[in-house]
Amino acid sequence: MPRSRRPSAQTTAVVLALAEAPSTWRYGYELCQQLGLKAGSMYPILMRLADRGLLETTWEREAPAGRPPRHLYRLTGPGRVLAAELAAAPPVPATAARAASRARRRPRLEGT
Amino acid sequence: VNRGTRLRRLGGLAVSAAAAAPFVAVWVAMLRAADDPLTARARLELAIWLAVFGTPWAVAARLLWRAWWRRTGAGLSSFDGPAWLLAAAAATLPADRRDWGAAMAAELTQVPDRAERWRFAAGSARVAVLPPGGNRAAAGVAGTLAVAALVAAGLATGAALPELRVFALTFVGLVGGLATLAVARRRRVGRAGPGPVIAGLGLAAVAGCVAATTWYLTEYPVTNAGHPPVVSATLPPVTAVALALTLAGGLWLALTPPRWLAGDRHGRRFGVGVAVALAAGFVLLSRLALRGGGGLDAGMMSYLLFVPPLLLLAGSAAAAVAGRSFRTGIAAGAWATVLGGLLVIVAWLVEAPRWYRQLGGLLLDAEGGVGMGVNLGDAVWWTLVTLGLWALPVGVIGAASGRAWARRRARHAAPAGHLGGRLRA
Repeated sequence: MPRSRRPSAQTTAVVLALAEAPSTWRYGYELCQQLGLKAGSMYPILMRLADRGLLETTWEREAPAGRPPRHLYRLTGPGRVLAAELAAAPPVPATAARAASRARRRPRLEGT
Repeated sequence: VNRGTRLRRLGGLAVSAAAAAPFVAVWVAMLRAADDPLTARARLELAIWLAVFGTPWAVAARLLWRAWWRRTGAGLSSFDGPAWLLAAAAATLPADRRDWGAAMAAELTQVPDRAERWRFAAGSARVAVLPPGGNRAAAGVAGTLAVAALVAAGLATGAALPELRVFALTFVGLVGGLATLAVARRRRVGRAGPGPVIAGLGLAAVAGCVAATTWYLTEYPVTNAGHPPVVSATLPPVTAVALALTLAGGLWLALTPPRWLAGDRHGRRFGVGVAVALAAGFVLLSRLALRGGGGLDAGMMSYLLFVPPLLLLAGSAAAAVAGRSFRTGIAAGAWATVLGGLLVIVAWLVEAPRWYRQLGGLLLDAEGGVGMGVNLGDAVWWTLVTLGLWALPVGVIGAASGRAWARRRARHAAPAGHLGGRLRA
Protein backbone atom coordinates (compact mmCIF):
# COMPACT_ATOMS: atom_id res chain seq x y z
CA MET A 1 0.00 0.00 0.00
CA PRO A 2 1.62 3.30 -1.05
CA ARG A 3 2.28 5.89 1.63
CA SER A 4 2.05 9.59 1.19
CA ARG A 5 4.98 10.38 3.52
CA ARG A 6 8.21 8.72 4.48
CA PRO A 7 8.08 6.34 7.47
CA SER A 8 10.13 7.07 10.59
CA ALA A 9 13.79 6.10 10.68
CA GLN A 10 13.07 3.11 12.91
CA THR A 11 10.23 1.88 10.69
CA THR A 12 12.49 2.25 7.68
CA ALA A 13 15.13 0.16 9.41
CA VAL A 14 12.60 -2.57 10.21
CA VAL A 15 11.25 -2.63 6.66
CA LEU A 16 14.75 -2.78 5.17
CA ALA A 17 15.75 -5.55 7.58
CA LEU A 18 12.71 -7.58 6.60
CA ALA A 19 13.39 -6.90 2.90
CA GLU A 20 16.84 -8.46 3.01
CA ALA A 21 15.32 -11.90 2.71
CA PRO A 22 11.69 -11.21 1.81
CA SER A 23 10.57 -14.82 1.83
CA THR A 24 12.07 -15.57 5.24
CA TRP A 25 9.84 -15.50 8.30
CA ARG A 26 11.36 -13.39 11.08
CA TYR A 27 10.38 -13.03 14.72
CA GLY A 28 10.18 -10.04 17.01
CA TYR A 29 13.04 -10.58 19.44
CA GLU A 30 15.39 -11.46 16.60
CA LEU A 31 14.54 -8.15 14.89
CA CYS A 32 14.98 -6.29 18.21
CA GLN A 33 18.47 -7.74 18.58
CA GLN A 34 19.40 -7.19 14.98
CA LEU A 35 18.35 -3.53 14.91
CA GLY A 36 19.09 -2.64 18.50
CA LEU A 37 15.47 -1.61 19.05
CA LYS A 38 13.56 -2.10 22.30
CA ALA A 39 10.38 -4.19 22.38
CA GLY A 40 8.43 -1.03 23.19
CA SER A 41 9.51 0.41 19.85
CA MET A 42 9.58 -2.73 17.74
CA TYR A 43 6.06 -4.04 18.39
CA PRO A 44 4.19 -0.80 17.62
CA ILE A 45 6.10 -0.69 14.31
CA LEU A 46 5.20 -4.29 13.51
CA MET A 47 1.56 -3.67 14.47
CA ARG A 48 1.31 -0.60 12.25
CA LEU A 49 2.96 -2.36 9.32
CA ALA A 50 0.53 -5.26 9.71
CA ASP A 51 -2.44 -2.86 10.01
CA ARG A 52 -1.44 -1.24 6.71
CA GLY A 53 -1.14 -4.55 4.92
CA LEU A 54 2.63 -4.24 4.55
CA LEU A 55 3.43 -7.12 6.86
CA GLU A 56 2.22 -10.70 6.79
CA THR A 57 1.99 -12.56 10.10
CA THR A 58 1.67 -16.20 11.03
CA TRP A 59 2.27 -18.48 14.00
CA GLU A 60 5.16 -20.92 14.09
CA ARG A 61 3.76 -24.34 13.20
CA GLU A 62 6.25 -26.63 14.89
CA ALA A 63 7.59 -25.03 18.01
CA PRO A 64 10.13 -27.08 19.98
CA ALA A 65 8.77 -28.69 23.15
CA GLY A 66 8.92 -26.43 26.17
CA ARG A 67 8.35 -23.10 24.46
CA PRO A 68 5.25 -21.49 22.97
CA PRO A 69 5.03 -20.95 19.21
CA ARG A 70 6.41 -17.68 17.95
CA HIS A 71 4.63 -15.02 15.95
CA LEU A 72 6.44 -14.66 12.62
CA TYR A 73 6.60 -11.78 10.19
CA ARG A 74 7.54 -11.07 6.57
CA LEU A 75 6.76 -8.34 4.07
CA THR A 76 3.76 -8.60 1.77
CA GLY A 77 3.89 -7.52 -1.88
CA PRO A 78 3.09 -3.88 -1.07
CA GLY A 79 5.60 -4.11 1.78
CA ARG A 80 8.31 -5.16 -0.64
CA VAL A 81 7.38 -2.29 -2.95
CA LEU A 82 7.72 0.11 -0.02
CA ALA A 83 11.07 -1.44 0.90
CA ALA A 84 12.31 -0.95 -2.66
CA GLU A 85 11.18 2.69 -2.58
CA LEU A 86 12.89 3.26 0.75
CA ALA A 87 16.10 1.58 -0.40
CA ALA A 88 16.16 3.80 -3.50
CA ALA A 89 15.32 6.97 -1.60
CA PRO A 90 17.93 9.54 -0.41
CA PRO A 91 19.96 8.65 2.70
CA VAL A 92 18.08 8.50 5.96
CA PRO A 93 19.07 10.13 9.26
CA ALA A 94 21.97 8.74 11.25
CA THR A 95 19.93 6.59 13.65
CA ALA A 96 18.24 4.64 10.90
CA ALA A 97 21.47 4.39 8.98
CA ARG A 98 23.11 2.80 12.02
CA ALA A 99 20.17 0.45 12.48
CA ALA A 100 20.18 -0.48 8.80
CA SER A 101 23.92 -1.08 8.98
CA ARG A 102 23.45 -3.39 11.96
CA ALA A 103 20.71 -5.14 10.02
CA ARG A 104 23.16 -5.92 7.23
CA ARG A 105 25.92 -7.12 9.59
CA ARG A 106 23.89 -9.50 11.80
CA PRO A 107 23.19 -13.08 10.75
CA ARG A 108 19.57 -14.08 10.12
CA LEU A 109 17.66 -17.13 11.20
CA GLU A 110 15.99 -18.91 8.37
CA GLY A 111 12.21 -19.03 8.50
CA THR A 112 10.08 -22.05 9.13
CA VAL B 1 5.30 -30.57 47.38
CA ASN B 2 6.84 -28.91 44.35
CA ARG B 3 7.59 -25.25 43.93
CA GLY B 4 4.45 -24.56 41.89
CA THR B 5 2.15 -26.09 44.52
CA ARG B 6 3.91 -24.18 47.29
CA LEU B 7 3.52 -20.95 45.36
CA ARG B 8 -0.17 -21.64 44.74
CA ARG B 9 -0.82 -22.30 48.44
CA LEU B 10 1.23 -19.35 49.64
CA GLY B 11 -0.43 -17.09 47.09
CA GLY B 12 -3.87 -18.25 48.25
CA LEU B 13 -3.05 -17.47 51.86
CA ALA B 14 -1.58 -14.11 50.89
CA VAL B 15 -4.61 -12.95 48.89
CA SER B 16 -6.98 -14.10 51.66
CA ALA B 17 -4.94 -12.20 54.23
CA ALA B 18 -4.83 -9.13 51.98
CA ALA B 19 -8.63 -9.26 51.53
CA ALA B 20 -9.21 -9.58 55.28
CA ALA B 21 -6.63 -6.96 56.27
CA PRO B 22 -8.82 -3.88 55.67
CA PHE B 23 -11.50 -5.30 57.98
CA VAL B 24 -8.94 -5.94 60.72
CA ALA B 25 -7.64 -2.40 60.20
CA VAL B 26 -11.17 -1.01 60.55
CA TRP B 27 -11.64 -3.00 63.77
CA VAL B 28 -8.41 -1.63 65.24
CA ALA B 29 -9.25 1.90 64.12
CA MET B 30 -12.72 1.71 65.69
CA LEU B 31 -11.28 0.48 68.97
CA ARG B 32 -8.81 3.35 69.02
CA ALA B 33 -11.39 5.93 67.96
CA ALA B 34 -13.81 5.04 70.78
CA ASP B 35 -14.15 7.84 73.33
CA ASP B 36 -14.22 5.37 76.22
CA PRO B 37 -12.45 2.02 76.23
CA LEU B 38 -14.85 -0.65 74.94
CA THR B 39 -15.80 -3.61 77.06
CA ALA B 40 -14.63 -7.06 76.04
CA ARG B 41 -18.16 -7.90 74.92
CA ALA B 42 -18.40 -4.75 72.78
CA ARG B 43 -15.04 -5.57 71.18
CA LEU B 44 -16.19 -9.08 70.46
CA GLU B 45 -19.46 -7.91 68.93
CA LEU B 46 -17.58 -5.47 66.73
CA ALA B 47 -15.18 -8.21 65.67
CA ILE B 48 -18.08 -10.53 64.83
CA TRP B 49 -19.73 -7.87 62.63
CA LEU B 50 -16.51 -7.21 60.78
CA ALA B 51 -15.89 -10.94 60.42
CA VAL B 52 -19.35 -11.33 58.88
CA PHE B 53 -18.40 -8.82 56.19
CA GLY B 54 -14.73 -9.76 55.93
CA THR B 55 -14.97 -13.56 55.74
CA PRO B 56 -16.76 -13.63 52.36
CA TRP B 57 -14.00 -11.39 50.97
CA ALA B 58 -11.25 -13.65 52.29
CA VAL B 59 -12.98 -16.73 50.85
CA ALA B 60 -13.76 -14.99 47.54
CA ALA B 61 -10.17 -13.79 47.15
CA ARG B 62 -8.94 -17.36 47.67
CA LEU B 63 -11.42 -18.72 45.09
CA LEU B 64 -10.43 -16.07 42.55
CA TRP B 65 -6.77 -16.83 43.13
CA ARG B 66 -7.32 -20.54 42.56
CA ALA B 67 -9.26 -19.91 39.35
CA TRP B 68 -6.60 -17.52 38.10
CA TRP B 69 -3.89 -20.01 38.97
CA ARG B 70 -5.60 -22.78 37.04
CA ARG B 71 -5.93 -20.66 33.90
CA THR B 72 -2.81 -18.52 33.96
CA GLY B 73 -0.69 -18.81 37.05
CA ALA B 74 0.31 -22.44 36.59
CA GLY B 75 1.54 -21.55 33.10
CA LEU B 76 3.86 -19.01 34.66
CA SER B 77 5.88 -21.87 36.05
CA SER B 78 7.53 -19.96 38.88
CA PHE B 79 7.55 -16.48 40.30
CA ASP B 80 8.59 -14.94 37.00
CA GLY B 81 8.04 -11.22 37.46
CA PRO B 82 8.51 -10.15 33.82
CA ALA B 83 6.11 -12.84 32.58
CA TRP B 84 3.51 -11.84 35.17
CA LEU B 85 3.86 -8.17 34.28
CA LEU B 86 3.43 -8.88 30.59
CA ALA B 87 0.51 -11.28 31.18
CA ALA B 88 -1.30 -8.64 33.26
CA ALA B 89 -0.75 -5.94 30.64
CA ALA B 90 -1.68 -8.22 27.73
CA ALA B 91 -4.99 -9.01 29.45
CA THR B 92 -6.03 -5.39 28.82
CA LEU B 93 -5.48 -5.58 25.07
CA PRO B 94 -8.55 -5.04 22.87
CA ALA B 95 -9.86 -8.16 21.14
CA ASP B 96 -8.37 -7.23 17.78
CA ARG B 97 -4.90 -6.99 19.32
CA ARG B 98 -5.02 -10.19 21.36
CA ASP B 99 -2.58 -12.04 19.10
CA TRP B 100 0.06 -9.43 19.74
CA GLY B 101 -0.07 -10.05 23.48
CA ALA B 102 0.54 -13.75 22.87
CA ALA B 103 3.31 -12.86 20.41
CA MET B 104 5.16 -10.72 22.93
CA ALA B 105 4.69 -13.31 25.68
CA ALA B 106 6.08 -16.04 23.40
CA GLU B 107 9.14 -13.91 22.62
CA LEU B 108 9.74 -13.22 26.29
CA THR B 109 10.33 -16.91 26.90
CA GLN B 110 13.30 -16.66 24.53
CA VAL B 111 14.99 -13.77 26.30
CA PRO B 112 17.72 -15.31 28.49
CA ASP B 113 19.18 -12.48 30.56
CA ARG B 114 17.15 -11.41 33.61
CA ALA B 115 17.69 -7.66 33.22
CA GLU B 116 16.94 -7.93 29.52
CA ARG B 117 13.75 -9.87 30.33
CA TRP B 118 12.55 -7.03 32.55
CA ARG B 119 13.34 -4.48 29.84
CA PHE B 120 11.59 -6.56 27.19
CA ALA B 121 8.54 -7.15 29.43
CA ALA B 122 8.30 -3.49 30.45
CA GLY B 123 8.45 -2.30 26.84
CA SER B 124 5.93 -4.90 25.72
CA ALA B 125 3.63 -4.09 28.64
CA ARG B 126 3.65 -0.43 27.63
CA VAL B 127 2.65 -1.45 24.10
CA ALA B 128 -0.10 -3.68 25.47
CA VAL B 129 -1.58 -0.95 27.65
CA LEU B 130 -1.34 1.69 24.94
CA PRO B 131 -1.28 -0.17 21.63
CA PRO B 132 -0.70 1.86 18.48
CA GLY B 133 -3.13 2.37 15.67
CA GLY B 134 -5.93 3.99 17.62
CA ASN B 135 -8.04 6.45 15.79
CA ARG B 136 -5.98 9.57 16.52
CA ALA B 137 -8.33 11.99 14.81
CA ALA B 138 -11.33 10.59 16.68
CA ALA B 139 -9.35 10.58 19.93
CA GLY B 140 -8.42 14.21 19.35
CA VAL B 141 -12.05 15.12 18.74
CA ALA B 142 -13.15 13.13 21.81
CA GLY B 143 -10.48 14.79 23.96
CA THR B 144 -11.46 18.26 22.75
CA LEU B 145 -15.14 17.54 23.37
CA ALA B 146 -14.29 16.20 26.84
CA VAL B 147 -12.41 19.38 27.77
CA ALA B 148 -15.23 21.53 26.35
CA ALA B 149 -17.82 19.51 28.30
CA LEU B 150 -15.77 19.89 31.48
CA VAL B 151 -15.53 23.65 31.08
CA ALA B 152 -19.24 23.87 30.23
CA ALA B 153 -20.16 21.76 33.27
CA GLY B 154 -18.06 23.97 35.53
CA LEU B 155 -19.57 27.18 34.15
CA ALA B 156 -23.15 25.88 34.08
CA THR B 157 -23.15 24.46 37.60
CA GLY B 158 -21.29 27.50 38.93
CA ALA B 159 -24.00 29.78 37.59
CA ALA B 160 -27.11 27.67 38.13
CA LEU B 161 -26.46 25.04 40.82
CA PRO B 162 -23.16 25.39 42.71
CA GLU B 163 -24.07 22.43 44.97
CA LEU B 164 -23.73 20.17 41.92
CA ARG B 165 -20.31 21.45 40.90
CA VAL B 166 -18.03 18.84 42.51
CA PHE B 167 -20.17 15.99 41.20
CA ALA B 168 -20.54 17.49 37.73
CA LEU B 169 -16.83 18.23 37.30
CA THR B 170 -15.77 14.79 38.56
CA PHE B 171 -18.37 12.92 36.53
CA VAL B 172 -17.87 14.83 33.29
CA GLY B 173 -14.08 14.70 33.68
CA LEU B 174 -14.11 10.94 34.26
CA VAL B 175 -16.53 10.17 31.46
CA GLY B 176 -14.64 12.45 29.05
CA GLY B 177 -11.29 10.93 29.99
CA LEU B 178 -12.57 7.37 29.73
CA ALA B 179 -14.27 8.08 26.39
CA THR B 180 -11.07 9.57 24.99
CA LEU B 181 -9.08 6.59 26.24
CA ALA B 182 -11.59 4.16 24.72
CA VAL B 183 -11.47 5.90 21.35
CA ALA B 184 -7.67 6.08 21.46
CA ARG B 185 -7.35 2.34 22.17
CA ARG B 186 -9.79 1.12 19.55
CA ARG B 187 -9.01 1.07 15.89
CA ARG B 188 -12.62 1.32 14.93
CA VAL B 189 -15.38 2.87 16.98
CA GLY B 190 -17.86 0.02 17.12
CA ARG B 191 -21.21 -0.49 18.76
CA ALA B 192 -21.49 -1.27 22.46
CA GLY B 193 -19.74 -4.55 23.24
CA PRO B 194 -22.07 -6.22 25.73
CA GLY B 195 -25.22 -5.76 23.63
CA PRO B 196 -28.07 -3.28 23.57
CA VAL B 197 -29.81 -4.49 26.74
CA ILE B 198 -26.84 -3.91 29.04
CA ALA B 199 -25.74 -0.73 27.29
CA GLY B 200 -29.31 0.60 27.35
CA LEU B 201 -29.87 -0.30 31.00
CA GLY B 202 -26.55 1.24 32.00
CA LEU B 203 -27.18 4.44 30.07
CA ALA B 204 -30.74 4.77 31.36
CA ALA B 205 -29.73 4.15 34.97
CA VAL B 206 -26.87 6.66 34.86
CA ALA B 207 -29.08 9.26 33.18
CA GLY B 208 -31.73 8.62 35.83
CA CYS B 209 -29.18 9.00 38.64
CA VAL B 210 -27.87 12.28 37.21
CA ALA B 211 -31.39 13.64 36.73
CA ALA B 212 -32.48 12.59 40.23
CA THR B 213 -29.31 14.03 41.81
CA THR B 214 -29.91 17.34 40.02
CA TRP B 215 -33.50 17.37 41.23
CA TYR B 216 -32.49 16.65 44.84
CA LEU B 217 -29.94 19.46 44.82
CA THR B 218 -32.39 21.86 43.20
CA GLU B 219 -35.11 21.12 45.72
CA TYR B 220 -32.96 20.41 48.78
CA PRO B 221 -29.51 22.03 48.37
CA VAL B 222 -28.95 21.74 52.12
CA THR B 223 -30.56 19.46 54.61
CA ASN B 224 -30.74 18.90 58.33
CA ALA B 225 -29.13 15.73 59.61
CA GLY B 226 -27.63 14.26 62.79
CA HIS B 227 -28.68 14.34 66.45
CA PRO B 228 -29.52 17.07 67.18
CA PRO B 229 -30.16 18.01 63.55
CA VAL B 230 -27.58 20.33 62.01
CA VAL B 231 -27.77 21.91 58.59
CA SER B 232 -25.32 20.35 56.14
CA ALA B 233 -24.82 19.96 52.41
CA THR B 234 -27.07 17.43 50.72
CA LEU B 235 -24.17 16.25 48.58
CA PRO B 236 -20.88 16.80 50.44
CA PRO B 237 -17.70 16.61 48.33
CA VAL B 238 -16.72 13.07 49.38
CA THR B 239 -20.17 11.71 48.53
CA ALA B 240 -20.21 13.69 45.28
CA VAL B 241 -16.90 12.13 44.22
CA ALA B 242 -18.10 8.64 45.26
CA LEU B 243 -21.30 9.06 43.24
CA ALA B 244 -19.38 10.36 40.21
CA LEU B 245 -16.92 7.46 40.39
CA THR B 246 -19.78 4.96 40.70
CA LEU B 247 -21.74 6.37 37.77
CA ALA B 248 -18.73 6.87 35.48
CA GLY B 249 -17.36 3.42 36.32
CA GLY B 250 -20.77 1.81 35.77
CA LEU B 251 -21.20 3.58 32.45
CA TRP B 252 -17.71 2.57 31.34
CA LEU B 253 -18.37 -1.08 32.15
CA ALA B 254 -21.82 -1.05 30.55
CA LEU B 255 -20.51 0.40 27.30
CA THR B 256 -16.97 -0.96 26.96
CA PRO B 257 -16.60 -3.92 29.32
CA PRO B 258 -13.43 -6.00 29.40
CA ARG B 259 -13.36 -9.16 27.26
CA TRP B 260 -13.95 -11.61 30.09
CA LEU B 261 -17.08 -9.74 31.16
CA ALA B 262 -18.59 -9.01 27.77
CA GLY B 263 -18.04 -12.32 26.08
CA ASP B 264 -20.08 -14.61 28.29
CA ARG B 265 -23.70 -14.98 27.16
CA HIS B 266 -24.94 -16.78 30.30
CA GLY B 267 -23.06 -14.35 32.51
CA ARG B 268 -24.73 -11.38 30.84
CA ARG B 269 -28.21 -12.87 30.96
CA PHE B 270 -28.12 -14.00 34.58
CA GLY B 271 -26.42 -10.76 35.63
CA VAL B 272 -29.07 -8.60 33.99
CA GLY B 273 -31.78 -10.81 35.46
CA VAL B 274 -30.43 -10.47 39.00
CA ALA B 275 -29.95 -6.71 38.58
CA VAL B 276 -33.51 -6.17 37.36
CA ALA B 277 -34.87 -8.46 40.09
CA LEU B 278 -32.94 -6.49 42.72
CA ALA B 279 -34.34 -3.15 41.58
CA ALA B 280 -37.85 -4.52 41.00
CA GLY B 281 -37.89 -6.14 44.44
CA PHE B 282 -36.71 -2.89 45.97
CA VAL B 283 -39.53 -0.88 44.37
CA LEU B 284 -42.11 -3.58 45.13
CA LEU B 285 -41.21 -3.75 48.81
CA SER B 286 -41.14 0.02 49.05
CA ARG B 287 -44.65 0.25 47.60
CA LEU B 288 -45.90 -2.49 49.89
CA ALA B 289 -44.46 -0.65 52.86
CA LEU B 290 -46.10 2.59 51.82
CA ARG B 291 -49.44 0.79 51.66
CA GLY B 292 -48.90 -0.26 55.24
CA GLY B 293 -48.53 -3.95 54.53
CA GLY B 294 -47.00 -6.35 57.03
CA GLY B 295 -45.09 -3.89 59.18
CA LEU B 296 -42.66 -3.11 56.37
CA ASP B 297 -42.58 0.60 57.09
CA ALA B 298 -39.38 0.32 59.14
CA GLY B 299 -37.35 1.13 56.06
CA MET B 300 -35.47 -0.78 53.41
CA MET B 301 -32.38 -1.64 55.42
CA SER B 302 -33.41 -5.27 55.91
CA TYR B 303 -33.95 -5.68 52.18
CA LEU B 304 -30.53 -4.21 51.45
CA LEU B 305 -28.75 -6.41 53.99
CA PHE B 306 -30.35 -9.73 53.09
CA VAL B 307 -31.73 -9.72 49.55
CA PRO B 308 -28.69 -8.63 47.46
CA PRO B 309 -26.35 -11.32 48.82
CA LEU B 310 -29.01 -14.00 48.45
CA LEU B 311 -29.87 -12.96 44.89
CA LEU B 312 -26.22 -12.73 43.88
CA LEU B 313 -25.45 -16.07 45.49
CA ALA B 314 -28.30 -17.75 43.61
CA GLY B 315 -27.77 -15.87 40.33
CA SER B 316 -24.02 -16.48 40.16
CA ALA B 317 -24.46 -20.13 41.08
CA ALA B 318 -27.18 -20.61 38.44
CA ALA B 319 -25.03 -18.88 35.81
CA ALA B 320 -22.05 -21.07 36.71
CA VAL B 321 -24.21 -24.17 36.37
CA ALA B 322 -25.69 -23.00 33.04
CA GLY B 323 -22.30 -22.07 31.64
CA ARG B 324 -20.50 -24.91 33.45
CA SER B 325 -17.88 -22.36 34.33
CA PHE B 326 -16.66 -20.36 37.34
CA ARG B 327 -15.97 -17.41 35.05
CA THR B 328 -19.59 -17.37 33.90
CA GLY B 329 -20.73 -17.13 37.51
CA ILE B 330 -18.24 -14.35 38.18
CA ALA B 331 -19.43 -12.45 35.10
CA ALA B 332 -23.05 -12.78 36.26
CA GLY B 333 -22.14 -11.51 39.74
CA ALA B 334 -20.20 -8.60 38.29
CA TRP B 335 -23.03 -7.56 35.96
CA ALA B 336 -25.56 -7.92 38.78
CA THR B 337 -23.43 -5.68 41.01
CA VAL B 338 -22.76 -3.01 38.40
CA LEU B 339 -26.23 -2.78 36.86
CA GLY B 340 -28.04 -3.64 40.09
CA GLY B 341 -26.15 -0.90 41.92
CA LEU B 342 -27.07 1.74 39.35
CA LEU B 343 -30.71 0.64 39.20
CA VAL B 344 -31.08 0.48 42.99
CA ILE B 345 -29.70 4.03 43.35
CA VAL B 346 -32.24 5.28 40.79
CA ALA B 347 -35.05 3.36 42.48
CA TRP B 348 -33.97 4.71 45.87
CA LEU B 349 -33.94 8.32 44.70
CA VAL B 350 -37.33 7.91 43.02
CA GLU B 351 -38.97 6.16 45.99
CA ALA B 352 -37.52 8.28 48.79
CA PRO B 353 -39.74 11.36 48.19
CA ARG B 354 -42.83 9.13 48.54
CA TRP B 355 -41.59 7.91 51.92
CA TYR B 356 -40.83 11.44 53.01
CA ARG B 357 -44.24 12.74 52.00
CA GLN B 358 -46.21 9.80 53.31
CA LEU B 359 -44.28 8.65 56.40
CA GLY B 360 -42.13 11.70 57.12
CA GLY B 361 -38.94 9.68 57.29
CA LEU B 362 -35.98 8.31 55.39
CA LEU B 363 -36.29 5.37 53.06
CA LEU B 364 -33.37 3.55 54.67
CA ASP B 365 -34.74 3.25 58.20
CA ALA B 366 -37.84 5.48 58.32
CA GLU B 367 -35.98 7.85 60.62
CA GLY B 368 -37.82 11.17 61.02
CA GLY B 369 -36.61 14.62 61.95
CA VAL B 370 -33.93 14.83 59.32
CA GLY B 371 -33.99 16.38 55.86
CA MET B 372 -35.12 14.78 52.61
CA GLY B 373 -31.69 15.36 51.08
CA VAL B 374 -30.11 12.83 53.45
CA ASN B 375 -31.61 10.17 51.17
CA LEU B 376 -29.10 11.09 48.46
CA GLY B 377 -26.07 10.19 50.57
CA ASP B 378 -27.85 7.11 51.94
CA ALA B 379 -28.58 5.89 48.41
CA VAL B 380 -24.96 6.21 47.35
CA TRP B 381 -23.20 4.78 50.39
CA TRP B 382 -25.62 2.05 51.34
CA THR B 383 -25.83 0.75 47.80
CA LEU B 384 -22.05 0.72 47.48
CA VAL B 385 -21.64 -1.04 50.82
CA THR B 386 -24.41 -3.61 50.50
CA LEU B 387 -23.74 -4.52 46.86
CA GLY B 388 -20.04 -3.85 46.38
CA LEU B 389 -18.76 -4.77 49.81
CA TRP B 390 -21.25 -7.35 50.99
CA ALA B 391 -23.06 -9.05 48.11
CA LEU B 392 -20.27 -9.19 45.51
CA PRO B 393 -17.98 -11.62 47.40
CA VAL B 394 -21.03 -13.76 48.19
CA GLY B 395 -21.62 -13.88 44.43
CA VAL B 396 -18.07 -15.17 43.95
CA ILE B 397 -18.78 -17.93 46.45
CA GLY B 398 -22.01 -18.69 44.56
CA ALA B 399 -20.07 -18.97 41.30
CA ALA B 400 -17.66 -21.46 42.87
CA SER B 401 -20.54 -23.47 44.33
CA GLY B 402 -22.31 -23.55 40.96
CA ARG B 403 -19.20 -24.74 39.19
CA ALA B 404 -18.59 -27.42 41.81
CA TRP B 405 -22.19 -28.59 41.47
CA ALA B 406 -21.92 -28.67 37.66
CA ARG B 407 -18.71 -30.65 37.93
CA ARG B 408 -20.29 -33.21 40.26
CA ARG B 409 -23.27 -33.53 37.94
CA ALA B 410 -21.05 -33.97 34.90
CA ARG B 411 -18.95 -36.55 36.74
CA HIS B 412 -22.05 -38.60 37.48
CA ALA B 413 -23.44 -38.18 33.96
CA ALA B 414 -20.29 -38.73 31.89
CA PRO B 415 -18.28 -41.91 31.66
CA ALA B 416 -14.79 -41.76 33.12
CA GLY B 417 -12.28 -40.03 30.88
CA HIS B 418 -14.83 -37.77 29.20
CA LEU B 419 -15.00 -35.14 31.89
CA GLY B 420 -12.18 -32.92 30.74
CA GLY B 421 -13.92 -31.55 27.66
CA ARG B 422 -17.20 -30.84 29.40
CA LEU B 423 -16.14 -28.35 31.99
CA ARG B 424 -14.33 -25.12 31.61
CA ALA B 425 -12.24 -23.51 34.35
